[in-house]
Amino acid sequence: MKIGARELKVEKRPSLSGWHAALISIAALLVALLLFSILFIVSGVDPLEAYKGIISYAFLNQFGLPLTINRFIFLLLCTNAFIIPYRAGLWNIGMTGQLYMGALAVFGVLALLGARRNGAVAVPPLVVIPILLVVAAAGGAAYAAIAGGLKGKYNINEIVITMIMNFIAFWLVSFMIKEGGAFMGRGGEGESFQLPANINAPLIAGVPFTLFVALGLALLLNFMFARTKLGFQIRAYGKSPAAARYAGINPVRLPILVFALGGIMAGLAGYHYFAAVPGVYKITGNYGYYGDLAFYGIICGLIAMGNPIASIPVALLFGGLSIGGRYIQGKLHMSFGVDYALLGVLMITLVGFQYFYNNQIVLKSNRESSKEESLDVGVHSPES
Amino acid sequence: MHEELLAGRVRGSTVLELRGITKRYPGVVANDAIDFEMRAGEIHAILGENGAGKTTLMKIVYGLMQPDEGEIYVGGQKVKLQSPLDAIQLGIGMVHQNRKLVNAHTVMENIILGHPNAGRVLNLKRAEEEIDELCRRYGFSVDLKASVWQLSEGEKQVVEILKALHRGAKILILDEPTSALAPPETKKLLTSVEAMADDELAIIPFITHKLPIVLSTSHRITVLRRGRVIARVDTARATEQSLAREMVGREVMFQVERPVVETGKPVLQVEKLSALSSRGFMAVKDVSFTVREGEIFGIAGVSGNGQHELAEVLAGLRKAEAGKVTLDGTEITDALPIKRWQAGLGYIPSERNEVGSIGDFTLVENVAMNYYFDDTFTHRGIMDYGSIRKLTEDLIADYGVATPNADVKGKNLSGGNLQKIILARVLNRNPRLVIANLPTQGLDVGATEFVQNKLIEAKKNKAAVLLISEDLDEIMAISDWIAPMYEGEFMAIVSADNADREQIGAMMAGLRLERQEQ
Repeated sequence: MKIGARELKVEKRPSLSGWHAALISIAALLVALLLFSILFIVSGVDPLEAYKGIISYAFLNQFGLPLTINRFIFLLLCTNAFIIPYRAGLWNIGMTGQLYMGALAVFGVLALLGARRNGAVAVPPLVVIPILLVVAAAGGAAYAAIAGGLKGKYNINEIVITMIMNFIAFWLVSFMIKEGGAFMGRGGEGESFQLPANINAPLIAGVPFTLFVALGLALLLNFMFARTKLGFQIRAYGKSPAAARYAGINPVRLPILVFALGGIMAGLAGYHYFAAVPGVYKITGNYGYYGDLAFYGIICGLIAMGNPIASIPVALLFGGLSIGGRYIQGKLHMSFGVDYALLGVLMITLVGFQYFYNNQIVLKSNRESSKEESLDVGVHSPES
Repeated sequence: MHEELLAGRVRGSTVLELRGITKRYPGVVANDAIDFEMRAGEIHAILGENGAGKTTLMKIVYGLMQPDEGEIYVGGQKVKLQSPLDAIQLGIGMVHQNRKLVNAHTVMENIILGHPNAGRVLNLKRAEEEIDELCRRYGFSVDLKASVWQLSEGEKQVVEILKALHRGAKILILDEPTSALAPPETKKLLTSVEAMADDELAIIPFITHKLPIVLSTSHRITVLRRGRVIARVDTARATEQSLAREMVGREVMFQVERPVVETGKPVLQVEKLSALSSRGFMAVKDVSFTVREGEIFGIAGVSGNGQHELAEVLAGLRKAEAGKVTLDGTEITDALPIKRWQAGLGYIPSERNEVGSIGDFTLVENVAMNYYFDDTFTHRGIMDYGSIRKLTEDLIADYGVATPNADVKGKNLSGGNLQKIILARVLNRNPRLVIANLPTQGLDVGATEFVQNKLIEAKKNKAAVLLISEDLDEIMAISDWIAPMYEGEFMAIVSADNADREQIGAMMAGLRLERQEQ
């Protein structure tokens, strides 16, 4: 494109710094909001008002903020459930099934302890709650490891397997809580039995302690990738399985391991939503909604480029926008699902803007002086 | 559109001229005001080390890349090459070093693929006649009905040449044309190249090593160094020494010394080893040999004769179907690769970009590939990147790797420098057994000499070295034992002292020692 004596050209970007990646993501977010305002305008809503409402409800409102935080914890765990195998070049599409298995493991242990029969457990919560966390993690890990094992041993596509296993887990939950399984609530409302009140996850400053678990795990994962032998092996395998094999990394064990680790994250997400969110404390009849929400872990993981630290703001943004979007939709009597539509537009622009990870727009002078100015996306350098 | 530009060419007339070609990459001038001229009927070799700017120049001539400055003239007329299509239409053909053929298709299908006359309806009969005529004229022989995957490297190259000629190439660019060929194949190729030159075709071979071939075949030579034309000489007035000096910028010894080291106990013992290729046929058949401390055992063979599979089996990357492998007396036939590394194996793979290194990893991380499992560098699962960085910097200094620092990514290093890093990190482990699979393939004169000297140094340090090479000269120069390999078998195991070059060359092509003696 020509502008006077200069020319805008797209060139390959030699390398991408974290700073640039963040800038590009922010530009994408702004463009997404701009694009979405068209929808608001068409619906006769002032976009500025709408965005103000979304943000203030999601992040500042005393009712909205806890919802955002709970959703953020869930998304962050699901995102890292995706990221661990992703860094090894493998795609975990099975967070849904893994989180169901984590939840089932939790309610299985509670049922064994007599929670359904007696509405209470005899063992003190300080013992039970850690056990619940461990079995949730183990349930997710074991379920995910099946996909990893099939991949490592027989090279069966992990995407297909995890997808199939999502359906299996979905119907298993349905059976367990609705259709005669051992976790049915006593009234038969299509929900699981209620967690005994003393087993509810403790709150710290009104927030489930799982927030700190999720944040701590994200930091730990970052350390794992950057500094540990395991992290090195995962990254090497992800960049080049052939080179990893040459270097002595076990091509059967590694896929099992990364899926198991991912499954731990997803299993904990299951614990979080069904045993730690205030007001829930059971496997609800609409558990499928949370299963679907888990898929946003894939999107968040891709936008964060597999970086566990970057996944924190991304998951927070997605969590907040979905809560705020749902609120504003009701408040302004809008006729469509603002939360999912907004996330959808955001997703598309963020993915679209990843083009600029590898390319940059350069303003080139047509005159012989080959002075070049690098432009960041969306920002035009002033004509000097 | 410009096809007629080269139609009326006569011997000795200028067909291609480059004036002041300059191409810059960030931080590097790959081509610096290069002038170059090509005449009909001429074989004009372009010599230069890796990174001298040959590849860039070649890409510019073939339209894969546009110069920042400079002009290109074909048949005396200024042209702009925006893409290879422009180059092809002008009559410029290119034979890549990395073959660009469809393996599952036949030779015939590959040759006519993309041909402008192929159109929507294939006139196979006419194409076949045309190709037969080309084969007759230039002395090529290849089965048009064979699938490409069945062909040897030499035959694949012939297919590429035929493809270019069939599209009407009058200027033919050959990238490292002899690098993957056995001596008899090389001889055949050179005869054909001379026949093409006699037919007023202009041929530009780009070559980094094998100076004798350049001297015996070409008419003129242009030497590039660091993006500049250093010399432009008539071949008759050049010598191997003078060319090497101009390429490298210093004197190069062509004769690496082969020191006699007292051999010790056997390190690697292979008994009746067999292995399958990835395609499922028996690639290694009943091979037995021993490599002792302080000796280099050279396996000579044209690519695809099982030596690659043999190396992989020894490194634990491929399953042995039968037989036994022992390292220092311990059986490792089925051991995991990691166990072999820990037992003292050091493998230098032939695929240095795909297997030997990770392009997206920094040099520190690439070095870590062979050390992450050592207690010295990993404590309780935490890697000591500080020590690995220190090691990497030492290796970079010791091996003279040309890189700004240790944080450069592997993919940004030239082939020779990458190979130095791989060699350095493997040899620094002081392995008991070094398996070097095509360690100098694609390297320039200076780097080749360096790698060979390092292997000899390892031998002096009492390592057992297994060298696999397609370059018979290299095998002859540094091995103590030579095993020509053909179709999965050793034709013989000959002591270097009694080795005869002609005889080994013949055995690489399948002649057995016993049969020869009858």
